[in-house]
Amino acid sequence: MIRRGLALFASALLAGAPLAAQQPAHEHHGMPGMAGHATPIPMPANMVMMPGLVGLQPGVTPFVPGGGVDPGTLQPARPAALTALGDGDTLELTAGLVRRTIRGHDFVMYAFNGRVPGPLIRVPQGATITVRFHNRIDLPSSVHWHGVRLDNGSDGAVGVTQQPVPAGGSYTYTVHFPDAGIYWYHPHVREDVEQPMGLFGNVVVDAPDSDYYSPANGEEMLMLGDLLMQADTLIPYGADAPDFALMGRVGNVLLVNGEPGYALRVHRGEVVRFYLTNAASSRTFNVSFGGAPIKVLASDESRFEREALVPSVVLAPAERYVVAVRFDRPGRYPVLNAVQAINHFRGEFEPEVDTLGTVTVDSAPAVPDHGAAFDRLRANAAVSREVERYRKAFDRPPDKRLTLTVHTSGLPLATVQFMTIDTAYYAPVEWVDGMPDMNWLSTSKQVRWVIRDDATGRENEAIDWHVRQGSVVKLRLFNDPHSFHPMQHPIHLHGQRMLVIARDGVPMRNLVWKDTALIPVGSTVDLLIDASNPGAWMLHCHIAEHLGAGMMTVMHVDPTHGPGR
Amino acid sequence: MTAGRSRFAALAAALLLGGPRPGPYDIALHPTPKAPGASGSARLFAAESPFGIGVTADGQARYDIRITAARLPRPAGLGRFTRYVAWAATPDLAHWARLGVVQNGTSTVGTVEMNKFLLVITAEADSAPATHAGPTVLHGTSPSGWLQSFLTHPLFRGIAQ
Repeated sequence: MIRRGLALFASALLAGAPLAAQQPAHEHHGMPGMAGHATPIPMPANMVMMPGLVGLQPGVTPFVPGGGVDPGTLQPARPAALTALGDGDTLELTAGLVRRTIRGHDFVMYAFNGRVPGPLIRVPQGATITVRFHNRIDLPSSVHWHGVRLDNGSDGAVGVTQQPVPAGGSYTYTVHFPDAGIYWYHPHVREDVEQPMGLFGNVVVDAPDSDYYSPANGEEMLMLGDLLMQADTLIPYGADAPDFALMGRVGNVLLVNGEPGYALRVHRGEVVRFYLTNAASSRTFNVSFGGAPIKVLASDESRFEREALVPSVVLAPAERYVVAVRFDRPGRYPVLNAVQAINHFRGEFEPEVDTLGTVTVDSAPAVPDHGAAFDRLRANAAVSREVERYRKAFDRPPDKRLTLTVHTSGLPLATVQFMTIDTAYYAPVEWVDGMPDMNWLSTSKQVRWVIRDDATGRENEAIDWHVRQGSVVKLRLFNDPHSFHPMQHPIHLHGQRMLVIARDGVPMRNLVWKDTALIPVGSTVDLLIDASNPGAWMLHCHIAEHLGAGMMTVMHVDPTHGPGR
Repeated sequence: MTAGRSRFAALAAALLLGGPRPGPYDIALHPTPKAPGASGSARLFAAESPFGIGVTADGQARYDIRITAARLPRPAGLGRFTRYVAWAATPDLAHWARLGVVQNGTSTVGTVEMNKFLLVITAEADSAPATHAGPTVLHGTSPSGWLQSFLTHPLFRGIAQ
């Protein structure tokens, strides 16, 4: 069914929507260490394009949004605005073309209701809203309500719960929010294109308890992302198939809420509650606030059992975390993404630090002063009590074992030779794209990412997986470190909630309800799924290009009173 | 054959012959002439974190280390020593961090905050020496030691710094 969605997407592009006659910019990127080879994509400093790959292009038709529309004729994208909705309310949500200006250059991109991020939807826990979605972009689309345990028909999962909404079409979603927390919405067809081009937004579901989180002076929504650019040009996407299929597209321009430079002003001693969402296609972030203390409060679908101080916040694609940060002293606090990149030519780790923005703290004292509350690490007994109901299932054998791996065929010989040798070592998490040339040239026509059922050997959509509504499912995921290209996978399960109960046999001691879990290379991760919501629910890697290259299956939760399996 | 060469030989044999390959969190420990009969291995576990992987603010991996050793001789047999102590050292040996005491059997030692390091076990006079002073009996390299440099490969000569 997914294949049908892709086919529809491709046929719409090739038949209806005009393609931009854009080719990657063949210009020298000015990186040191390069002599003589122009690179069509940006290469890391001190790295060169593989000689065997020079002159090659990915085997896809290049695509950028708008089909040649002059961005000057479009309205500029506006920042997200709060849309507070109550039970029974209706939202008109339109995906359309906008002008976005990145680093001084105008581009045609997408937006929900003209905003990037899309409207910040804020609803009380337990509310049900109606969202009338109108697709006015040049691709088929849909809206997936990420993490929300809603009715299956409104999940937005193209190929599983609905057909893609064609350009010009509409679809009505009924979205029920049973759990407090931080969620987001995005398309579920060609996420590798539509999401980075601007179709994403947050949903905050407020608990009735005003003391749900520890107190803060203010709240900030940070949707993290990136774009891949060469000078003033967007690197085109593949019209008929995703490119960057090996690692996913890792951008070189890091964005907060769609903009390159986030800025916030606060008073001395303020505690700010940040709602962080990783909306990037592939990049895993490691975010810190210039040394300001960080307290992690919650993740995807609940608070943690216990608040904890952390040095930084690690977010894989699609994950969310709620943290409190205290800014004690006047001055400027850089918001950093700091990782250790691998230089594959030198065989070394190299620090890579990007400044996502700045928090400026003035000398006026915060009122009220939440310092004492910040210092106290709360235990959330309600979360622990609920988790306790599931604890008896923690130690039983897994109900399902899935292995994450990859098949390839037809990749350039140089890529095959290099990677066969280079993957003697495989990092648990690849924070950056250390091999952009090989990655760019790989498409989903050559790379097939796989979820394999250990019991049957079936792969991806061929897995026949049924569980009974109300059951508790222990799922063991193993990320094969000996595949052609081992890589971490943020695994997302639609429509249910789950606990990460153990990693590599080590029990987790501070639990939180999740819908997306990072599975590092070589790791075995045990998830406990609360299969309470009937329907057909996708389980997939949230690296957009990995999903585009097949890495998904479906868990059928059969109704308690239905036929079952 | 040196320990390093033997590791590469093992990897090459595994790649060519389809034999078992080292896991991404496994460290083989190799004996020195001070304890030629000793053997050991270590396993890296992501340090506890709300995020599933342990990472420092600057992006270095944080690992808890479990060391299994066998046939370590009595420390006193090597001199005025009473304990074996595990250390994590940067590859240039410039910085050492004491991890904890190691015995025959399995020992869980402290957390290392480095992506690439040497794991060294030395005999020491007490369990918490400030610096390593005694002889090395076992040593190994973090799995990231497998990272290869291609700078000198003929394909890239002249086009890369």
